[in-house]
Amino acid sequence: MRYRGVSRYRYCLIAPSALAMTLTPVFAQSVAKPATTSTATVAKPWKQSMTPWGDPDLQGVWPSTSMIQTPMERDLKLGTRAVLNDEEVAAKVARNKQFSRIETGNTNGVVPLAAGWFDYGKPNRQASLVVDPPDGRIPALTPEAQTREAARKKHWNEKKDSPDTWLDLTTWDRCITLGPVGSVLPFAYNNGQQIEQGPGYVVFRNEMIHEARVIPLDGRPHISPEIRTWMGDSRGHWEGKTLVVDTTNFNGQVFIGSEGGGFGDSGAVATDQLHLVERFTRVDDDTINYEVTIDDPNTWTKPWKIALPLRREAKYDYIYEYACHEGNIFMHDALAGARVTEKKAAEAAAQKGVK
Amino acid sequence: MSRRMPQMFAATGLVILWIGNSLASGQTPSSIPRMGGKPNLNGIWESLSTANWDLQDHSAYAGPMWEMGAIVAVPAGQGVVEGGLIPYLPAAAETRKQNFANRRSADPEAKCYLPGIPRAAYLPYPFQIVQSNKDILFVYEYATANRQVNMGKPLEVGADSWMGMTSGHWDGETLVLDVTGLNGKAWLDRAGDFSSDGLHVVERYTLTDHDHIAYEATLEDPRTFTRPWKIHLTLYRLVEKGSQLLEFKCIPFAEELLYGQYSKQAGR
Repeated sequence: MRYRGVSRYRYCLIAPSALAMTLTPVFAQSVAKPATTSTATVAKPWKQSMTPWGDPDLQGVWPSTSMIQTPMERDLKLGTRAVLNDEEVAAKVARNKQFSRIETGNTNGVVPLAAGWFDYGKPNRQASLVVDPPDGRIPALTPEAQTREAARKKHWNEKKDSPDTWLDLTTWDRCITLGPVGSVLPFAYNNGQQIEQGPGYVVFRNEMIHEARVIPLDGRPHISPEIRTWMGDSRGHWEGKTLVVDTTNFNGQVFIGSEGGGFGDSGAVATDQLHLVERFTRVDDDTINYEVTIDDPNTWTKPWKIALPLRREAKYDYIYEYACHEGNIFMHDALAGARVTEKKAAEAAAQKGVK
Repeated sequence: MSRRMPQMFAATGLVILWIGNSLASGQTPSSIPRMGGKPNLNGIWESLSTANWDLQDHSAYAGPMWEMGAIVAVPAGQGVVEGGLIPYLPAAAETRKQNFANRRSADPEAKCYLPGIPRAAYLPYPFQIVQSNKDILFVYEYATANRQVNMGKPLEVGADSWMGMTSGHWDGETLVLDVTGLNGKAWLDRAGDFSSDGLHVVERYTLTDHDHIAYEATLEDPRTFTRPWKIHLTLYRLVEKGSQLLEFKCIPFAEELLYGQYSKQAGR
C-alpha cells in the first residue's frame, strides 16, 4: 500500500473536510510549545544522560510528526516574524478540528481516501521549517539552476500523467529515497526517526523507505569523491552535547522539496556539490532539536537552514518496516495505464480515419 | 633424552587441562571484545560462503544469462545446511525446482526486494551490527535493509513483513535472535530455496575470537519443510582500515526488469 503517487493530490483529499465544518470536534488538540521554550517550563534542570562509553545519549524514536502543520516556507506576510501569535495558532487549532474528522472517517458522508493513514500533527508556534534566511524562505536559485529546474519542471508537467518511462517519475514514486533531508521532514505518514548508538558510531534511521545512515565518529576523512550516493557520506563529531554531522558525496539526483516529500513541480534537485551540516541537540527527555544547513552553490544563491524539534511520542517507540518498492503497484499502474491510454487513443484515431 | 622432558609433558598436560576447564565452565578467549559484560558484536561483517548462490552443496554451473558469460556463472560451494539437504515437503520440492528455472527474474534479489532473514546474513554484501547498552541495530548494505533487535520484552507482531520482527536475548556468550512475522516472500538463495509465511527463524551469533562470528540459524516452517533444519556459517569482520558500509540502493538497477515492458523506451 502506498500513497506517494497520490500524494501530489493530497490537497484534494483534505478539501472535502470543509463540508464537515459544523460537526462537533471529536477530540481536542493541544497546542505544542515552540521548541525554543521547551526547556523553560521544566521545573528541575534537565541533565543529559551519557552512554556507558561517554557519548551524550540521544537514543530513542523521535518522530517529526508534531511539525506536520508547519510549512516549509513562511507565509510572506509574516516577514521575519518566526513565531506565530495567539490568533494565528487559534486559527490552526480550528483547522485541526477538521483534520480530526478526517482521521476518524467522520466527514459527513464524504469518505476520505486515507482515513486512519495520514498523520496531521499538532498546531505549534513555529511559522516555518526554514529558519535561515530570517524571512523563512528558501533562497533564490542560481541562474544556472533556474534554467535547469525550469526544464525539469516542464518535463514533469508534460509527463507526470502519462509517463514514457520510470525516469519520468520522482525518486519517491520509484521508492528509491527522499534523501537525507526529505526523509526527516514531517509529512502525512512515516515520520519515525530513530537514533541508535554504539561506541564510535551513531545511526540515524528514518522510517520513510527504511533508511539507516551509519555515521562514524572517529574523525576519519570522507570517502573518495569518486564514490557518489543518494544519502551522502556522513561524518560526525560532538560539540559539547550536540552531535554535528557533515555529509557530502551526493550523486546529483537528490531532491530537496518545498514540502516534505518529492513533488515533481516544486523544490529543486541539488547537484553533486550538495553539502549538509546537521546538528542534533537533546534539550529534554522528550525532545531533540534538529537543524540542517543546506549548501549547494550550484543550486542556491546562499546556504539555508531548516530547524525542527523531533519529539518522543507515546507508543511510537518502534519503527515498522516500510517496504515501499516491494509493494510499488503505482509504478506498474502509472506506466501500464499510460500505454493502454495511448493504445486506445491510437485505435480511436484509426477508427476515425476509416470513417 | 633430557631429564626435563617429563616436566615439559606435565606442563603441556596442565595447559590442555586448563583450556578444557575454561571451555567447560563457559569462559572464553580473552581476544573476544566485551561490552557491559556481554560479547561486543559491534563491527562490519560479511559471509565468505557461497550460501547466497545455493545453501546446499553444489558444483559450479552456468549462470542464467549466456550474454554475461562466466561473470554470472555460479562458483562451486560446500553447503551450509546441517546434514546437507533442505528437508522439503514433496510439493515444496517441486516449487523449488520451478523457482530455480525462473530465477533470472523471479528471485526477489533480482528485483532489489528486501532480503528477509536469514538471507540478509549471507548476502555478498557487508552489514554492520550497532550494539548499544540498550537495543541492537543491524544495517545491511544491500538495499539499505535494516532491522532493530528488541532486547526488552518481546514485541507483538503486527502485519507480516520482509525482515520480520526480531526479539533478542543473551544465552551465555551467544546472541539469540528470534524472528517471527516474516512474510515468506523472500527467497533463501539464488537457487530458488524458499519458505512460506509460516517461517520462524532462530539465529545465533557467537564470537569465536575478535574477528569471527559463528552464525547458526534454525528454520522451522511446517508448511514447507518436514522438520526444522539448521545452517552454519562464519561471518568475517572487515578489518581494513576505514572500512564502512557503502550504499547499494539497487532499485534503479531493477527498473528495466520490472517496468521495461510497460515503458515506451528503455529508460537508461
